[in-house]
Amino acid sequence: MDRPRPIKVLMAKLGLDIHWRGAMAVSRLLRDAGMEVIYLGNQFPEAIAAAALQEAPDVVGLSTLAGNHLSLGPRVVQELHAKGMEDVLVIMGGVIPPDDVPKLKREGIAEVFGPDTPVERIVRFIRERIRGTLEDTGPGPHSGPPPKSVGE
Amino acid sequence: MSRNPLFRSEALEAVRKEEERWKKDRLGPQDLESEGRYATASGIPTHLLYTPADLAEMDYLKDLGFSGLPPFTRGIYPNMYRGRPFTIRQLAGFGSPEDCNRRLKFLLEKGATGLNIVLDLPSIRGYDSDDPQAEGNVGQCGVALDSVEDLHALFQDIPIDQVSVSLVTHLPSTTVVLLSAYMVMAEERGIPLDRLAGTSQNDFIMETTVGSAPEILPPGHAFRLQCDVIDHITRILPRWNPVSFNGYNLREAGTDAVMEVGVAVANALATAQELIRRGRDPDSFLPRFSFFWDLHNDFFEEIAKCRASRRVWYRLVHERLGARSHRAHLMRFHVQTSGITLPSVEPLNNIARAAIQGLAAVLGGAQSLHIDSYDEAYSAPTEQAALISLRTQQILQVETGVTRVADPLGGSYYVEALTNEMERRILDLVDQMEEMGGIVRSVESGWLHRRIADFAYEQQRSIESGHLPIVGVNFMPASEFRPPEEIFRYPETQQRQTEKLRRIRKERDTRSWKRALEGVREACRDGQNIMPAVQEAVRARATLGEIQRVFRETFGLWSFPLH
Repeated sequence: MDRPRPIKVLMAKLGLDIHWRGAMAVSRLLRDAGMEVIYLGNQFPEAIAAAALQEAPDVVGLSTLAGNHLSLGPRVVQELHAKGMEDVLVIMGGVIPPDDVPKLKREGIAEVFGPDTPVERIVRFIRERIRGTLEDTGPGPHSGPPPKSVGE
Repeated sequence: MSRNPLFRSEALEAVRKEEERWKKDRLGPQDLESEGRYATASGIPTHLLYTPADLAEMDYLKDLGFSGLPPFTRGIYPNMYRGRPFTIRQLAGFGSPEDCNRRLKFLLEKGATGLNIVLDLPSIRGYDSDDPQAEGNVGQCGVALDSVEDLHALFQDIPIDQVSVSLVTHLPSTTVVLLSAYMVMAEERGIPLDRLAGTSQNDFIMETTVGSAPEILPPGHAFRLQCDVIDHITRILPRWNPVSFNGYNLREAGTDAVMEVGVAVANALATAQELIRRGRDPDSFLPRFSFFWDLHNDFFEEIAKCRASRRVWYRLVHERLGARSHRAHLMRFHVQTSGITLPSVEPLNNIARAAIQGLAAVLGGAQSLHIDSYDEAYSAPTEQAALISLRTQQILQVETGVTRVADPLGGSYYVEALTNEMERRILDLVDQMEEMGGIVRSVESGWLHRRIADFAYEQQRSIESGHLPIVGVNFMPASEFRPPEEIFRYPETQQRQTEKLRRIRKERDTRSWKRALEGVREACRDGQNIMPAVQEAVRARATLGEIQRVFRETFGLWSFPLH
């Protein structure tokens, strides 16, 4: 019997972010869930898109706890589109202020997973979006009312 | 030397006998059966109850002694917090140095007794704010520092001859530049160098293992720079700690409490051995070594870790380094409460977590403390969140009474048994790394990275399975997601820093700048201490990124051994 090829995920630390623990742990747990995961390490948007062109992944996972999500995250989506990869699912994880999540989603990031997300939820989200199951995933991790911003 | 056990063998025999009777008569089969299932977060098996029989070998004077006396289990100073309260040292850093200067003044005004500067990632990894690599990270998660001018702005109107300053530079290569810039700034302000008190992080494990990055210096070169800083600074800044052997970030990346201390201590030992090899007297530099611990939720284990680490260090210095002076044997450490234990759901609960972790630090005899803010899982702390952390420290210091007595948990059968076991496991790990060829080799081979990755993976699995309960996450999960009311927003920084850089590059004397950078390149190649050349470059207004580029060009790059 033919089995479908595994879902392929390209995982990258965004830019200079030094915190690799989460990205590495999620990569291994996605492999445990049967996915093929390529861990790119620290990369900037152009290099992530170039690697995607070569590897043809179903999913690009971006990890950042460094506050560069708004400046670099959308650029990954733009670079992928510029290379004709409109169908790649781009997801993000890390320390992301909740009121930035709608902005990221408007820029083409499909979902944002906070620091205490069970990996099982990420697996379900990817499977549903890639395999096309129509089951409702429920509210995402950041679905509360937006807080007000304060500056210095 | 013969030991002098505290407990008489007849008394211990009576305790053991009574314990057997108690188990038989008073404990149910379930209690007995479950005994093997309880363990600390580091996996040390724990009994239901501890008695003198668990400390049968204890020699009071050899193992515990008095505060301020070997083996320093009970604290490094005789009068502990009565003589010197722990320093309230809250991390701060965001935006431009001008922005951050305001937050530093706010903390001092509210009663902070030391400063603790966190840098943005481009500064940590050695890129100027206008470097393409810096994009998106300038002034985020820390303050942007590009040149000596930024040090002037950061500390403007702050009496750095009176307040001790911790510069969390992480990497040796960054410490070399920014500590030089700090000294040049002080010189230009007319402050004598012997008045500067503080700490710089300077840990090659941070450069090569804890943080991943697009460009990393080879471990051997990073270790050399770490030793250069210590060698140079101990001779000219008598009140400065030129290194903070950092267990904290290693623990956050993924280790248990044993490995946190074991790796930091192995690094300290190797550093001391290298400086001795260079001909330095251990008594000249060991008194300036400092350490940095991460306190998580397993309350008694964390306290035992602090106590055990002091005893481990005393014994290693005494037995393996041949130091003679009293101060050379003291392990002084800073504590930060654990960021990774703070979830984003129901964030106010983190105030309770951090307070308990902070209490453990005080009971463990820490010299200085940072308490994490509740909004850590989102962003840098708002002013309000930072104030709660600072107030928590003050509550510990003046309201709870825990600072009245030195080592108040000393003599607890449980805490002493845990301290013994932590000590044994830490020393085993130090020896294991030595057998693998030393700390630098343990990094080069990727062994340390794999250990961290495995731990992080296993811990995530424990969280997913519910085996590791986190309140509001997998234990009594919060029914709705409620973000904090306020979220910190970073001010725009890149443009302002870029304009400053443009001005500095235009106004500096090109010839002396070029000559100074050449001097850095030569010092890299011929192995002389790097610090004087870098100070010259900083004085000539060379920027952090320009000097670090010289390091990358001369030392080459190393690839992170995980994929």
